[in-house]
Amino acid sequence: MKNISVQKPVALVTGASSGFGFEIAKLLAEKGCRVYATYRNPKKIKALKALAAKADVLPVVMEVTNAASVDKAVKAIVQKEKRIDVLVNNAGFAMGGFLEDQSDQDIKDQFDTNVFGCLRVIRAVAPIMRKNRSGKIVNVGSIAGRVSFPALGSYAASKHALKAISESLRQELRPYGIEVTEIAPGTYSTQVTTSARYGENTRSAKSPNLENTRQMEALMEKEFAKGRPASEVAELIWKALNHSPMKIAYLAGPDAKFMAFLKWLLPDFAFEDFVKLIIPWSRFPKK
Amino acid sequence: MEKRPVALITGCSTGIGLEASLALAKKGYLVYATMRNLKKAGALRKAAKRLPIEILALDVDKAADAQKAVSAVVRKTGRIDVLINNAGWGAFGALEEFTDEEIWAQYETNVFGLMRVTNAVLPVMRKQKGGRILHIGSLAGKMTFGGVGLYCSSKHAVEALTEAMRTEVRPFNIEVTVIEPGSTNTQFKYNRHLSQKFLKGKSEYQSILKKILAYGNDQSKKAPGSEQVVKAILKVLDARRMAVRYAAGFDATWFPVARWFLTDAIYDLVLKRMYRRFM
Repeated sequence: MKNISVQKPVALVTGASSGFGFEIAKLLAEKGCRVYATYRNPKKIKALKALAAKADVLPVVMEVTNAASVDKAVKAIVQKEKRIDVLVNNAGFAMGGFLEDQSDQDIKDQFDTNVFGCLRVIRAVAPIMRKNRSGKIVNVGSIAGRVSFPALGSYAASKHALKAISESLRQELRPYGIEVTEIAPGTYSTQVTTSARYGENTRSAKSPNLENTRQMEALMEKEFAKGRPASEVAELIWKALNHSPMKIAYLAGPDAKFMAFLKWLLPDFAFEDFVKLIIPWSRFPKK
Repeated sequence: MEKRPVALITGCSTGIGLEASLALAKKGYLVYATMRNLKKAGALRKAAKRLPIEILALDVDKAADAQKAVSAVVRKTGRIDVLINNAGWGAFGALEEFTDEEIWAQYETNVFGLMRVTNAVLPVMRKQKGGRILHIGSLAGKMTFGGVGLYCSSKHAVEALTEAMRTEVRPFNIEVTVIEPGSTNTQFKYNRHLSQKFLKGKSEYQSILKKILAYGNDQSKKAPGSEQVVKAILKVLDARRMAVRYAAGFDATWFPVARWFLTDAIYDLVLKRMYRRFM
C-alpha cells in the first residue's frame, strides 16, 4: 500500500459481520493487513469467526451509535498496535419507506448509525493517525449520496451527508498526511435489504402512501435481484488504498456510474423526467 | 375560512425568515411567522406594523412544538398554502472535534426539525389538495469546505430530502423545492455555534480554524443581504411549477457550475490550493 511503510498495516473495518464489511476484512487480510473487524451483534458472527480462524482478522465488538463503545474498542487497538493505518467506515443500514411515514425516531436512528456513527469512529481514530502523520480513511457511502429516490429519502439524506463529511474531512486531514476518500456503490448483493428497517407507519393502513410504497418496493426488489457480488467493492477499495493520493471518491458498479453520469449530464428537470419514467405513479393529479 | 393564502415560516426573528415574512405579507399572504424565542420578536413586530403577520412560538428542536403551531394555524385559518422551512444555523469546527451533543444539536434543527415541521404540515396540504414547501438549503448543500463540514453535511441531507420528498408528495399536488443561498449578510455569522474545543483554544486546528472563520465572516460581510434570497422566494412562489432547486446569489449560482465542469481531480486540487491559504 503506497504511503504506508510498515510491513503489516493495521486496518479497522466497521460493520464487518456481513456484506461489504466482511468482504473488505477478508481481502485486506489476504493482502497482508492485520484487520480489526468490528461487529455489533455477537449472534451474527459465525462467518466472521470462521474467517478469523484462518486469517489475521480479529473480531471486535463495537456499537457505532455508542461513543463509549467506539472509544473502548479503538483504545484497545491503539494500545496494542500503537497505530491504525487504514480505517474503513462501513457500518450502516437503510431506512426504507416514505418520509412522511417515518417517525422522528426513525430518521434519527438512520443518521445515528450512518452519519454520527462514522463521525464517532473518526473522532476516536483521527488522533492516532495524526500522531503518526499517516493514515487512510475510506467511508463507504452509496450512489444514494448523489441521487435521491422516493421511499429511500432518509437513507439518501444520510449518504448525502456522509459524502459531504468525506469531502470536508479530506480538506481538514490532508495537512496531517491523512487521506480520506468515499466509495459509492450501486446495488450489490449484501444484507442491506434484509437488515433494512421501515418507517413506523410504512405498513400502516393509515398511511396515505401504501400503494405507492408497494410499487417502490417491487421496483427495488427487482433492482436488488440484479445486485453484483460484494467482493467487487472490496477489490475497488483495495485499488483505492493503493492510489497515491487516493481520489476524492470512487463509484462502484456500472449502475452507480450510469446514475451519477446522468445526474451530472442532465439538468434537474430532465433528470426528474427520467426518474418519472421509472416511477410512473409520481405525477401531479389531473385537474 | 381565510381568503388570503396562508404562509407558515420558521426562524423569523432575524435574517431571511424576517425579510421573507415581510415580503410575503406585502404580497397579500397572511403570514404566520414563527420563532424559537418570542423575546426576539421585537425587530419583526416593529417592521410588520399593520402587515398581516401573526407571530407564533415554534422551536423546531422540540418534538411537540411543530404540531402545536400547525394546529394553531389550522384552527384559525383552516389551511396552510406555503411552508418555508428556514430555521437553521451553522456549526463551526473541525469534524473530528465535535462532541456527540454538538453533532445532534446541528442536526436537530437543520434536518430533524425541518422534517418535523414538514410532517406536521403535509396532512393539512393533502387535505386541501395542494401546497408548496420551500426548504432553505444552502450552497453548502452542493459544496463542502474545511471547518464547516458538519453544517455542509446537514445541508447536503436537506438536498436529498427535497429530492425524495418532491417525488413522494407529487401525487397529492404538493410541491417541494430547496432554495440555496450563498454567502448572505445576515445574523448567520453571529449565530454560528463554534465547537467547544475551538472556543476553549484547545483545538488541534486552532490557527487554521481561526483563519477560516475570519475569512467566512469577511465574505458574508461583503455579501448582499437577505433581499437576494427573498427575491428568489418570491420568484419561486410565482412559478407555475416549482423546480427542484433555486440558487440565490452569485456564488450559489456559479460555484456549483464550476464544480460541474471541473473533473473531481481538478476540483480537489482547487480546494487544496484554497485550503493552503489557511495554513
